[in-house]
Amino acid sequence: MARTRPLMIQIATGDARPISKQIVDAVRMQVATGGLAAGDQVPSVRGLAQQLMVNPNTVAKAYSELTTEGWLESRQGLGLYVATPRQRLSDAERERRFDEAVQRFVNDVVALDIPAADVQARLQLELRALRPRKRA
Amino acid sequence: MNDDDLVIQTQTLVKRYGRKHALDGLSLAIPRGRIHAIVGANGAGKSTLFRILLGFLPASSGQARILGVDSQQLAPADRSRIGFVNEEHTLPGWMTVAAVTAMQKKHYPRWRQPAFDEVIGHYQVELGQKVRQLSRGERAGLNLALALAQSPELLVLDEPTLGLDVVAKRAFLESLLYSNAAGDCTVIYCSHQMEEIERVADNLVILERGRLAHMSAPDEFCERVSLWVADIPFQGPPPETVPGLLQRQQLDGLQHYLVLDQDEGFADFLRSVGARSVQSMPVSLDRAVNGFLAKHHAAPTELRHA
Repeated sequence: MARTRPLMIQIATGDARPISKQIVDAVRMQVATGGLAAGDQVPSVRGLAQQLMVNPNTVAKAYSELTTEGWLESRQGLGLYVATPRQRLSDAERERRFDEAVQRFVNDVVALDIPAADVQARLQLELRALRPRKRA
Repeated sequence: MNDDDLVIQTQTLVKRYGRKHALDGLSLAIPRGRIHAIVGANGAGKSTLFRILLGFLPASSGQARILGVDSQQLAPADRSRIGFVNEEHTLPGWMTVAAVTAMQKKHYPRWRQPAFDEVIGHYQVELGQKVRQLSRGERAGLNLALALAQSPELLVLDEPTLGLDVVAKRAFLESLLYSNAAGDCTVIYCSHQMEEIERVADNLVILERGRLAHMSAPDEFCERVSLWVADIPFQGPPPETVPGLLQRQQLDGLQHYLVLDQDEGFADFLRSVGARSVQSMPVSLDRAVNGFLAKHHAAPTELRHA
């Protein structure tokens, strides 16, 4: 029986992102980096609200957005679970975002005058570090 | 919206002190349920509004209704449906906690002892202690416990965490946000602490010089305000020509504009007055509210009622 997986996230007041958006971003990051795996149960609205010391409605809003986007799924009467990964964006949109990210990266890096081989090696290292780790 | 669904309703409410208008035609409609934060600079009319709503003060003109009842006609039974916690946490210092509690219990027919016990459990308060011996934070906790135990439909908190240390503040917010005692209650939360408002508020009401300046979810208000930084040679345009201007700063030769309700068109404006580069970013709720309250040159072109 899967138990609730703790959400090791933090929020900050005074950020330009509203708290609900910070929760959405943090959960997505946890899923992307393997802190949360498909099938994990996430904390209850009330539990996470209390953990982060925010209004439960704020957490409910974030969870609802994550559910709409397909990151979380609701199981009747049981709670919310991390959904099985599926393609969440259209191919064209995915391509566009990838393009944009690469361009931004290249623009930033070219100014630093670092050999291309070093850039590639470092990038590979960072990507490898993001790969989901196996959990006991 | 049905009037029964409004906990607070005022119509062109005016209160004059001599020639000064504390409330200047305030029309406000706050729906039942959730937590509503009211912010405003000192003197914006918050305290006057509460005094009128609770029937302690007559209005100069206009109407004020609370829980559907005219504020000037409140009967004891109506008052028992309203909880009020003020910043001073005024309670008789010579009485013991047990005696104050017993007194309140007699006053309020819908007294819920479990609610009192749940909230007071967040604090180390002994029933035999005199109120005078309690710390400010403990008095705040006792005050909240007393107010929630009367099963109010509406709870008005006027700067409840003013002067509390971080531990007491946390205990106060926890007992307000997560205790079952506060479950069905509509909360009006008056505070200057944006950090708290960001955490607790479902709805943000901004009062300015006795009028309603804005009402919406906090996020939506945040989205109305943006910061633009432009590299404009010399002085830049005269402030009164800058659309939606809330605040202007010149830092390291760059012009910083905090503006209201501006989209990409604002970049075109900046370029048209000679900007060589233009950048923009969103701002925090704290910055947005402060900029809004501190503005001198611009006024919102329209009042928004959510």
